[in-house]
Amino acid sequence: MAISRPTGSRTRLVVLLLASVTLLTFGVRDVPVIRDVREGVGTVVDPVVGAVQAAARPLGNAWNGITDYGNLEDENAELRDRLAQLEGDRVAATDAETQFAELSRSVDLPYVGDVPTVAARVSSGPRSNFSHAVEIDKGTDDGIAVGMPVATGGGLVGRVSRASGSTATVELLSDPEFRVGVRLAEDGELGTARGQGRGEPLAVDTGIDPDTEVAEGTGLVTSGVDRSAYPAGIPVGEVTKTREGSGGLALDLVVEPLVDVDSLSYVTVLQWTGDE
Amino acid sequence: MRPRRRFVLAKTVLVLIGALLLQIGAVADLRLLGATGDLLLLLAVAAGWVDGPDRGLSWGFAAGLAYDLVLDTPFGLSALTYAVVGYAVGLVSVALSRPAGWWPVSIAALAGLLATGIYAGVGHLVGVPYPFGDLPPVALVVAAWNAVLILPVMRLMRRLVGAQKPDRIALVLGGRR
Repeated sequence: MAISRPTGSRTRLVVLLLASVTLLTFGVRDVPVIRDVREGVGTVVDPVVGAVQAAARPLGNAWNGITDYGNLEDENAELRDRLAQLEGDRVAATDAETQFAELSRSVDLPYVGDVPTVAARVSSGPRSNFSHAVEIDKGTDDGIAVGMPVATGGGLVGRVSRASGSTATVELLSDPEFRVGVRLAEDGELGTARGQGRGEPLAVDTGIDPDTEVAEGTGLVTSGVDRSAYPAGIPVGEVTKTREGSGGLALDLVVEPLVDVDSLSYVTVLQWTGDE
Repeated sequence: MRPRRRFVLAKTVLVLIGALLLQIGAVADLRLLGATGDLLLLLAVAAGWVDGPDRGLSWGFAAGLAYDLVLDTPFGLSALTYAVVGYAVGLVSVALSRPAGWWPVSIAALAGLLATGIYAGVGHLVGVPYPFGDLPPVALVVAAWNAVLILPVMRLMRRLVGAQKPDRIALVLGGRR
């Protein structure tokens, strides 16, 4: 078989590398034409991907059974304990009441007020190793639009970054590009939280006055200040650590998100576009 | 374009679309240590190894571009990364006179490590920092997938490009051999 010259075609190398860098320059700026092309491709591809996912589900289940065997054993043991406990408490009517209250909490989002919501199932996880986004099974046909906040009963999950007819992509708060204005629940101090990657806590390294007293466990909610991308009052996380930042000009907070975004099954999209 | 060229181009496009659908519909959910394999990168590596740097470059660019279209990460980052890796693998392949045995397996694994490093490094340069703590498992898992799948994918690539055939993607993109 003939093999290309060792040096390859320099012209092609230069042309394709320049093309890649140019596309990347536009891509980083998220120019509208690229967003439109991606949405168009998503509209065509997503239904086919859904069919492939359905066909591959047994394979995925088998894979998870093998690779998560240790976790499954732990989970199994934990579930046995819970089952025993529940059986013991079966006669107690309070158990049913407690479970009912818990279910109500996960379905109702008390902090959203009268903002309409759409419940959706997480249909697949991140599409690549460097993606921090999940796909949900509801899209523009259900009233979902780009920019809408996404939450669970526990708190904020992220925001809709792309939407097609029957599916949408949710940028998770673990994404290093994710930013959300937050407010300390206790004294109202405002700051900006950003994602730091999968399984990592959020960082709040702008906006908090260095003289502010912040106790461990202090809650953070979305600030909802003027033109914010999120309504006010959605729980975001709890402070686990504080440290001096920006040469003593600010206080940095390490914040553990209230929702584990790596194991989502159902989410709620808040049909809030910032105009309210 | 002659009918045979059109036929090969159509096969190439079909393979790219098939790999893309498999990647986001199936492989992306097969996670180990939170990371997964990358069939699109594997196509670029196989093309570079089977037919040299030009083919690796063209396939890397096309496969990366296709992947970029369905991701939420910066557009063009996969295309740049895979083109560079496909080209580099092609250069190594030519320099070593395309040895068989464990060589392609080892080079494919190294290409996985290289691709992860380039992707994260360029991401940092353009202001999209990926946490360094996420990189070791991603690099290892991508390398492992590459090592396991490179031989069958090389076989597919040989069938696709055939012997002494011009590079179809390059022809479309206007390049010359």
